[in-house]
Amino acid sequence: MPQSRPFLTRSRREAITFYLTISPWLIGFLAFTLVPMVVALCLGFTRWDLLTAPRWIGPDNFARLGRDPLFWQSLKVTTIYTVAYVPAELIGGLALALLVNQRVRGVGIFRTVFYLPSVLAGVAYVVLWMWIFNPQGGLLNTLLGYVGIEGPRWLIDPRWALPALLLMTFWGWGRAMVIYLAGLQGIPPELYEAAALDGAGAAGRFRYVTLPMLSPTILFALILSVISTFQTFTSAFVATNGGPLNATLFYVLYIYRLGFQFLRMGYAAALSWVLFVIVLVLTLLVFRTGRFWVYYEGKRD
Amino acid sequence: MQRRTAFACIVVALLALVLLAGCVAVPPPQQPVAKPSPAGGKIILRVGTGDSGEGLSPHQEIISRFEKANPDVLVQLEAVAGQDYYTRLLTQIAAKRPPDVMQIGDDAVPMFVEKDALHVLDDCLKQPPGLDTGIYLPGLPQPGQWQSKQWLLPKDYSPLGVYYNKKIFDQHKVPYPKDGWTWDDLLATAKALTKDTSGDGKTDLWGIQLPATWTSGFEYWVDAAGGRLISEDGKKFAGFMDSPEVQSALKFYSDLYNVNKVAPPPADLAMFGGGNTEFDNGKAAMRIFGRWPESGYKKNPNIDLGVVGPPAGKQRANVLFWGGFGVASGSENPDAACRFLKFYTGKEGAEVWKDWALPAVKSVAESSGVTKDPIEGVWIDELSHLKPRAYVSSPYWGQSGDPALRKALETMLVMPGSDVAVVLKQAAQEAQTALDEQLAGQK
Repeated sequence: MPQSRPFLTRSRREAITFYLTISPWLIGFLAFTLVPMVVALCLGFTRWDLLTAPRWIGPDNFARLGRDPLFWQSLKVTTIYTVAYVPAELIGGLALALLVNQRVRGVGIFRTVFYLPSVLAGVAYVVLWMWIFNPQGGLLNTLLGYVGIEGPRWLIDPRWALPALLLMTFWGWGRAMVIYLAGLQGIPPELYEAAALDGAGAAGRFRYVTLPMLSPTILFALILSVISTFQTFTSAFVATNGGPLNATLFYVLYIYRLGFQFLRMGYAAALSWVLFVIVLVLTLLVFRTGRFWVYYEGKRD
Repeated sequence: MQRRTAFACIVVALLALVLLAGCVAVPPPQQPVAKPSPAGGKIILRVGTGDSGEGLSPHQEIISRFEKANPDVLVQLEAVAGQDYYTRLLTQIAAKRPPDVMQIGDDAVPMFVEKDALHVLDDCLKQPPGLDTGIYLPGLPQPGQWQSKQWLLPKDYSPLGVYYNKKIFDQHKVPYPKDGWTWDDLLATAKALTKDTSGDGKTDLWGIQLPATWTSGFEYWVDAAGGRLISEDGKKFAGFMDSPEVQSALKFYSDLYNVNKVAPPPADLAMFGGGNTEFDNGKAAMRIFGRWPESGYKKNPNIDLGVVGPPAGKQRANVLFWGGFGVASGSENPDAACRFLKFYTGKEGAEVWKDWALPAVKSVAESSGVTKDPIEGVWIDELSHLKPRAYVSSPYWGQSGDPALRKALETMLVMPGSDVAVVLKQAAQEAQTALDEQLAGQK
């Protein structure tokens, strides 16, 4: 006699439970990520001014990129910013995390203080820094004046505007600090004890215990950092509006300007897909290199 | 293995479906928009404005008066401040849910009209109670017109004026600027009031605060120099933006900053008007700008305020900044929207506006006394010196001429010593390239 099988086998029931449980995310992903992305891709092949129906123009938008000096300028600005910011955040965040990982009285206060700027709303934070950078009577130039240095005109000097925007981001290191701190706290103390017994100094413990144990966290923070840096918008939008002379024309700011100010949504959509591909490739690259320097405890070879 | 293939097939099929759906959906299907459920049988009108904060008070006042007079209509004010307003408006139009009545600023009018976002007002103006655009002060209906049809009616407006601080003039015994003054007078006055009072080698008192890289404000200097930025047919920048007249305007303007050093250097180029505060702090004797900060200046203890029209260069000139209201072409209730529009921009609305800004309706301006006021009267008088703005010649001015001109102004301000002729020649080329691309794309 053949075994009677219930319609809902255990595995089927599990699958149904799985999809039901994940459905809020799934629906959200479809409705707010996948479909808009696909629509944007299609729009990338059209000319669309938002007011009248889009018109199919084939790959013209993508062909145009090469001839658009502002596309290259925005890519350049964003790349310089990313190359400078990502390592700075990595080292700065890690340094802060190491500092606040000490068992010292009142370390909680420092953790809070270092993290505090990350809680501030983006615009408020930028406006505050605009006051600091104000060439007439701003905090920074006044302080520089005390030591006899005539400060640059920061946000309105094409040579200094991008460095100024970079300078204001060190306030964001608190975000990376929290991630690294969580990673540091997860390192079992017995590893340090064993290393100390074997005669490793502080530098040795950092190099041979902390870094390898923290490497998955670093990989995670690195990827987040690269992605978010390529999407920089607020600081340039509020503080410089891309100027002076396009010195801070970030890629996403250029997309926004094309789409909503110049009413060239099709071209803007094409640009956003190019950005997506760039970020995707960079992320994959970082992942790939991770093979050589990330140590996963669970994976023994 | 088979299962895997099946799974992969399903995934690919799904993706293809989504892709297809996405592309097909690109011209979004004209779905009938669900009518907003009437609140107690009332018509609901949505009104979009870019005003915010205190600026909303007159709107609310006019709306409540309108609702009292029109019990069948309920008005919802949708306020989104600043730049975000257009972003939202465009999104609403793209989604086929624009506000019934929407505020549009001067230079955006041609674009919205060309793209069929607005209802032409000819019939609306005729329907009783009719509205004759002759009720407005001179120059005010024009920014709402495009191709000799009326699309919007004036909400508020401002020409340029020169504010001056009588305290500073009195203290340094310099005569006040007088109506009919010239660029030479401006320079002489500004020089006489630029001083290093503390003797530390730095200027503490500036002659005139200028609006940095504000392109539409700069159009006044171009007009006063007798130039224009774009050909009348809206097709050419070369020979206009780089003409000797525009060169002389840019040279005079940037020399005020760089050579004569009578204007405080801009504090923030991203901010409208350059972010300077010298005039507010009693550290600049004059300021050329619109009427917007005036009520603050009247209350400011550092300032004893006077206002005079901008000086004449080769000719007298001024430019108008204007916000108007129109009816969205997608409105479900165009008749009610029209009724509201006429109430809002007509005499009834002007009676409220006059307490907040300059009224657009002539009879209200006269009866409220603003035309005779020594300060407010100046703004009204300036309406008779208006020159057409550059956007009037091309709906693509904002994407072509404006950014190029802004870059030219920026170059002159952040790189003093740049050659005006070279800078403007490049600007004209950049503007032309952008314009040609737009015109080609329309074919």
